[in-house]
Amino acid sequence: MARLEIEGLCKGWDFPVIDRMDLTVEEGEFFVVVGPSGIGKTTLLRLIAGLESPNEGRIILGGNDISRLPPYKRPVAMTFESYALYPHLSVFENIASPLRARRLPKAEIEQRVKDVARLLKIDQLLTRRPAEVSGGQKQRTALGRTLVAEPEVFLLDEPISHLDAKIRHELRAQFHTLEALRRVANVYVTHDYAEALSLGDRIGVMGRGGLVQIGSAHEVFEKPQTLFVAEHLGQPSINVLDCELTARDGVLHARHRESLLTVPVAQAHVQRLNGGNADRVSYGIRPQHIAVVADGEVVRDGLHVIDSTVTLFEPLGTYAILITETAGATITALSSPEHRYTQGESIRLGIDTAEAFFFDAVNGKNLVL
Amino acid sequence: MRDRHYKLVATLMFVFLGLWTIISLFPYYFQFITSFKGIEEVNRITPTFWPDEFLWSNLDLVFSDETNVAALLDTLLIASANTALAVFLGSLAGYALARFPRQAGGENMAFWILSNRMFPPVAILLPMFRAFDTVLGSTDNHLSLIILYLVFNMPLATWLMMVFFRDAPRELEEAAYLDGYSPLRAFFKVTLPQVVPGMMSVALLCWIFAWNEYLFANMLVGSNVAVNTIQMPGFVQGAQKLWNLAALFSLVAVLPPVVLFMVLRRYMVRGLSLGVVKG
Amino acid sequence: MARVTLDNVNKIYVSRRGNVHAVQDMSLVIEDGEFISLLGPSGCGKSSTLRMIVGLESVTSGEIRFDGELVNELEPQERNVAMAFETYALYPNFTIEENLGFPLEVRGISKQDRKEEVHRIAELLQIEDVLGQKPGALSGGQQQRVSLGRALIRAPAVFILDEVMSHLDAHLKFQMMIELRRIHQSLERTMLFVTHDQMEALALSDRVAVMSDGRLHQFGTRDDLYHAPANVFVAGFIGEPPTNFFTARPDESNGELTLLTLDGGARFHLSAERASRIRAHGANQYVIGIRPQNMSRIANGLKTSITAQVLLNEYSGEHSILTLTVGENRLQAITASSDGIKRDESAELYYHPDNVLVFDVETENLLT
Repeated sequence: MARLEIEGLCKGWDFPVIDRMDLTVEEGEFFVVVGPSGIGKTTLLRLIAGLESPNEGRIILGGNDISRLPPYKRPVAMTFESYALYPHLSVFENIASPLRARRLPKAEIEQRVKDVARLLKIDQLLTRRPAEVSGGQKQRTALGRTLVAEPEVFLLDEPISHLDAKIRHELRAQFHTLEALRRVANVYVTHDYAEALSLGDRIGVMGRGGLVQIGSAHEVFEKPQTLFVAEHLGQPSINVLDCELTARDGVLHARHRESLLTVPVAQAHVQRLNGGNADRVSYGIRPQHIAVVADGEVVRDGLHVIDSTVTLFEPLGTYAILITETAGATITALSSPEHRYTQGESIRLGIDTAEAFFFDAVNGKNLVL
Repeated sequence: MRDRHYKLVATLMFVFLGLWTIISLFPYYFQFITSFKGIEEVNRITPTFWPDEFLWSNLDLVFSDETNVAALLDTLLIASANTALAVFLGSLAGYALARFPRQAGGENMAFWILSNRMFPPVAILLPMFRAFDTVLGSTDNHLSLIILYLVFNMPLATWLMMVFFRDAPRELEEAAYLDGYSPLRAFFKVTLPQVVPGMMSVALLCWIFAWNEYLFANMLVGSNVAVNTIQMPGFVQGAQKLWNLAALFSLVAVLPPVVLFMVLRRYMVRGLSLGVVKG
Repeated sequence: MARVTLDNVNKIYVSRRGNVHAVQDMSLVIEDGEFISLLGPSGCGKSSTLRMIVGLESVTSGEIRFDGELVNELEPQERNVAMAFETYALYPNFTIEENLGFPLEVRGISKQDRKEEVHRIAELLQIEDVLGQKPGALSGGQQQRVSLGRALIRAPAVFILDEVMSHLDAHLKFQMMIELRRIHQSLERTMLFVTHDQMEALALSDRVAVMSDGRLHQFGTRDDLYHAPANVFVAGFIGEPPTNFFTARPDESNGELTLLTLDGGARFHLSAERASRIRAHGANQYVIGIRPQNMSRIANGLKTSITAQVLLNEYSGEHSILTLTVGENRLQAITASSDGIKRDESAELYYHPDNVLVFDVETENLLT
C-alpha cells in the first residue's frame, strides 16, 4: 500500500513557505500541485524526497514514517526541473543509475533499462551522452531513471515546462497513458494550469503557506474556494471587480465601485448572499462567460446585455481576446478569432450572470459555495 | 567587417606575434645549442649561434654522473608525492568548504587558507628549518620538502578545488541520493568526475611549483637528497665553468613540466575557465 | 521606420565537420511600420536570419536592404537597428534611469534631453515609479520592460526582439504581449519578433514568417496561415492543439468526390472547388488536414461528420480537448468543458467541408 500521507508539515526560512500542511495521496493517484512560480511547490517535493528537512511534521509512506530518513534511504524517485542528468555518463548509465546503486546483477540491469527505454522510445539513444540528445529526449531519460527505480512514490517537478509546444503535447499524452505511473502515488508539480487540469486526478492549488484548495479539475476551476484560486486558473485571467451589493428595482445588483457598471445577481446566488453580511464583494466573472451579442440575436435568460467599446482585439488562434471598456470598467471577454473587431468599435456584451463568483472583499473566500 | 581594416590588423598581428615568438623562443634555442657545444666554445667572448661541432658526448658526461640522475629522480619523487598529497587533502577541504560552508568555517576560513599563500616564503624559512631539524632529526630528506611544499600547494589546491566543487551542480548529487547512493558513493560517482579537469589543472600547477622550487630546497637538502634546481648551479661553481653541461642538464630538467603540460593542456584550459564563467 | 527586404539571402556556416546551410534562399519584404514575427522550431534558422539583419553575422550570399539601401557591409551601429535580448542584459550597478539613458549618453545627447526621453519611454512602458531603483530590485517583468525601453529609446529604424518572452510565466507573458502591441501602435515602428511560440507570434504580428530547416515556408497574416497554410508543416505548426492529419484516397461515389482514409475508417466531404481541383490533379493519395477547432460535437446545421471513439477527455477549464481514434488514425477535437463523454464512447464530429485542407502527398503543399 503505497499511500503518501503528510501530517502537519511546516517549513520556512524567514517566513513560512509551508504552514501545517496535511495531505494524503492515494496509491495510483495522480496529484497535481499548481501555483505561481516561487510559491513553494518544489520545496514540497524536496521535503517529500528528503532533500530538505521540515521544521515540523511527518511524512508517512506506505505506513512507514520516513520523516527522519535521509533521501538515499527513501523509496522515492524524482525528476528535476533541470533533468539533473549525469553528463559524464551515457543515457543507458543514467537510466541504470538507481539499479547500480542497489548493486543488482548486470543482466537484470540491462533488461530493465532496455525495457524502460523502449517504452519511452529512446532505445536508439542508449549509447549517447546527455549533451547529444534533444530536450524532449533528455526529459524522457530523466523519466526513465525514475521509472526504473520502481519507487513507492513518483515526484515530478515541472517535467515538461521547458520544452517546445509540440513535444509538450506528446509527453502530456504519455503521462496519461503510462501504466507504471498508475501503480503508486504521484505528485506532479506545474505552473501551467491547463496541464494541471488535464493530468490531475486531484489538483492542489498552492498559495502562500500551503494548499489553498484541493479538488478535482472541475471543482477547482468551477468552484474556486478563494479569489486566489479563481485568479490563478484560467487564461486570460478572470475579471475581478470591486463591487457593492445594492438593491435596485427590488433586484439585487452588484455595482462596481470604480465605474458605472452594474450587473444583476442571478437568483441562485441571491439567497446565499443575503444570508451573509457582505455589502462589499469581489465580483468575478470569467472571460469565457462573456460573449459578444450580435445585433438581432436572441438573448437567452440569465444573460445580462450591456453596451461596450472595444479597446483591444487579440486573435490568438483558437480563440480571440477582446479587451473592452464597459461602462467605465475594463472587461475581458473571449470571442471567435474569425470575426475581426476594430479598436473603438461599439459592441454589446452578454454576461452570463449565473456563472459569476462572489468573494469576500477582505479574505477572498467564495461566499456562494 | 571591412576587408581593408581586417587585412591591416592581421598583418600587424602577424608581425607582432612573429617578433614575440622569436624573442620568447630564442633562449631555448640558445640553450639547446649550448648544451652540445664544447667547453672552450662556450667560454668564448663572442657567442656562436651554431655549434662548431655537435658534442652528443655531453649527454654521457652529464648523466654518467649518478648524482645528476639522482637529482632528477629525487625531484620527481618529491614533486609527485607532494602534488598527490596536496590535491588529495585540498580536494577534501575544498569539498567541505563548497558543500558545507557553515560547518567548515565559511568564507572566513576559505580566505584564511588562501592567505597562507600571500606572505613571502622567506619569512618561514628559519622556523621551518628549525622545526624539521628538531622533529625529523635532519632536514636533508625527501619528507621535509614534501611536507614543506604543502604550505604553498595545499592552500592553492583547497581554494581552487572549492571553486570547482561549487560549480559542480548540487542537483546532480541530489539526483544520486534519490537513486540510492549514500553521500560518499555519490561523491565518487557523480561529483568527482565533474571536477576531474579542474583537478588536473590544479595538480599541474602544484607539480610545477614543486619542481621549480629553489629557496627551500637549497636550505633544507643538499647531501642525501638533491633536487634539480640545486644541482644546476653545481656545474658552474667549480674551477671550470661548465656552461654547456649546465645548459644540457637544465634542458633535460625543463622537459618533464613541458611534456606534462602538453599532455594535460586540454584539462588546463577547461579547468582554469571552469571557475571563471558562470554558465 | 524602414522597409526591410531580404533578397535570396543565404547563410552557410563553415566548419571542419562540414558546412551548415542555416538559411536557404530567403526572400522577404517587411513593410515600413509592420510588426512581423519569425516563427519556427529551434534550429530553423530564424536566429541566423535575425543576426544577419542586425549585422552580427555576415551574409553568405544575397542582399539585405533597408529602404532600398544595401546594408550587407554595414556594421550594426551603422544600420540603426536596436535589439532587445532574451536575457535582459541590464547594468546591475546603474539605476533604471541610467540604464535607459545609456544609449543616448553614448551618443552625446544632453542631460536635459536625455531626461525627457527617458521619462517618455518610462511612461510608455509604465515603469516611471522604478526609475530610481537598481535592476536587482525589480521583478522579471519590469526588467523585461526596461530592456525593451533601452532598445526603444534610440528610436531605431528597425526594432528587433529576440525571444524576449521565453522566461516569463503565462500571466506576465500575456500582459507583455498587450504592451508590445500598444507600443507598436503608438510608435509605429518596424518591429521584428523572433519566437518558437506560435501563440505569441500570432497574437503580436501583422504577418508571420514560418520557417523550418533554413527555409521560409510561408509569410502571411494569421488568416492566411490558418485557412490557407502553404504546406503540411505550416498547417501542423500553427494551431493549438495541432492540426489533425490523415492520408486518404479520392473516392467517387453517388456523383460526389470524397476522400476516404486509407483504412476506410472515415470519409471526408469536400467543398466543390476542392473536389474539382482534385479531379483535375488526379493523384491517388492526398493528405487531409483538419483543425481540432473545426470539429464539433454540436451539429449546428452541419451535415457532414465522422464517427470516432473517445480515447481521452482532457478538461482544460475553458474547454475540453478530446483525443479520439478512427480506424488506425488518432485525432483531436475541442468540445465544451461541460462535455462529460468518457473513454471508449462513440462521438459524432461535425465539420464544414470548407475547413478540410487537402495537401499533395509528395510535395506536401496545399492543393489550390
